[in-house]
Amino acid sequence: MQSVGDSLDTWFKREVLPHEAALLRYLRRIWRQSDEIGDLRQEIYARLYEAARKSRPHSAKAFLFSTARHLLADRVRRGRIVSIEAVGTSDALDVMVDELSPERRLSAWQELRRVTYALNCLPPKCREVIWLRKVDELSTKQVALHLGISERTVEGQILKGMRLLSEAIFTRALSANNVASTRSIDTETENGKE
Amino acid sequence: MERSKQTEEHAAAWLLKRDSGHWSNEDAARLAEWLDTATVNRVAFLRLEAGWEKTSRLKALGAGFARGKVPSIDELSRSIAPASGIAELFPQSRTRGAMWAKLSALAAAVMLAIGTGIFVYTAGPLAGDRYATPIGGVASVPLKDGSSVTLNTASAIRVQLTDKERRIDLARGEAFFDVAKDPARPFVVRAGAKRIVAVGTKFSVRKEGENIRVIVTEGLVRMETADSAGSLLTAGAIARTIDARIAVQNKSVPEAEDTLSWRSGYVVFRETALAEAVAEFNRYNERQIVIQDPAVAAIRLTGKFRSTNYEIFVRLLEDTFQVRAHYTDDQIVLSGR
Repeated sequence: MQSVGDSLDTWFKREVLPHEAALLRYLRRIWRQSDEIGDLRQEIYARLYEAARKSRPHSAKAFLFSTARHLLADRVRRGRIVSIEAVGTSDALDVMVDELSPERRLSAWQELRRVTYALNCLPPKCREVIWLRKVDELSTKQVALHLGISERTVEGQILKGMRLLSEAIFTRALSANNVASTRSIDTETENGKE
Repeated sequence: MERSKQTEEHAAAWLLKRDSGHWSNEDAARLAEWLDTATVNRVAFLRLEAGWEKTSRLKALGAGFARGKVPSIDELSRSIAPASGIAELFPQSRTRGAMWAKLSALAAAVMLAIGTGIFVYTAGPLAGDRYATPIGGVASVPLKDGSSVTLNTASAIRVQLTDKERRIDLARGEAFFDVAKDPARPFVVRAGAKRIVAVGTKFSVRKEGENIRVIVTEGLVRMETADSAGSLLTAGAIARTIDARIAVQNKSVPEAEDTLSWRSGYVVFRETALAEAVAEFNRYNERQIVIQDPAVAAIRLTGKFRSTNYEIFVRLLEDTFQVRAHYTDDQIVLSGR
């Protein structure tokens, strides 16, 4: 069932994608063929999206990991891949199925830091092009003129930038824990007397 | 090539085209068709779109740089310096330190005009050296016993060093003390009816009306109110008096030091309510920020800002939250959008 005003697409971006770093850690730990991780991620997302069309899960993260587990198990059954360790009751899974609580979501400032970090990870030319396009809001043509390169090159750099940025923002990125580091468990004690 | 890479390249090409400004209804229909062809297409597209949308947040940084000029990695990193920049904490401006050292030598009756404020120092009925800072000022004062005091914005202290006691009176504002060890002469800071006693340690005292806040970053400090025996505070402690009572929060030392970032000219917020953050900025600036909207006051934010650069702060609020700023001569009024 889809709630009004919150499309499945929006839900997917807001509730599922933030767990990509954790998903990738999990996949890398139990899947030997590292060159297949990208395909696995996409298939898991597709399968999850299909299932969510019918019924939106309560916990996106738990659902993401159970989708991953089933998909990996299917692959093993079909005999396409044999080098898999501990599908099913992986201890790794247990620790990870806690939802992002509201305070662990990134604040706007932390998001900005993460994106800036992602930008700084880009190759120099690509970084320049993305800045001019995104921040100074120059058109592809204006960027090309400004940098003295062809429009085609600019487009190539944007394509590359789009993919690298998503990779840095969702995958490589510091986990919400790292960035947020809201150590908010304060023990408030009262000593002194009335 | 991996299949997923190909899908992603197609998705990026669609996103680029849609982003280019040349986007017809037919294009939209063709994209919709491509997205419907396979769910892998859709998820790949959504993922890139989400990353691309997030990248727009960079516009908040654009204000700090000339248009058409791409800032270096260092410049960008500096503009988003992490909240826990302990390494940045103490490179205190030397020129200011020297200036205040000279002032302390004059001490007796000095008239100072700093900015628009005039500060008068007289020996008065009570002896001792007096120091004060204007709004937005931070200054370090070396004391004769080897200790040093750093004064925050709009703060004033009086210093009396005797054979038995090293006595500081905090008249207003906030001061950080780096106390040289001398067991024979306790280092006592008084703020109203409260006393803070140290031997060799680092701590700060902030006066808020009749109440005070003490933060200890090294060693041990004893805090006394008029009618309590006193509380011992260890490093990392943040203690507040509420009338005669003392409330203590025990934090990590780096966290406690975050609260003292004013020494290097910064304010640091960690999931702080905007109302509180604004009150903090207002301590450092003549031009006051006023919040008109309770929803705006409740916004929480995390970050590190130059305490005197409220304009960047307000601009960032406008860019990242649903906040509108209205500038008058002596105020900036924030409301919801």
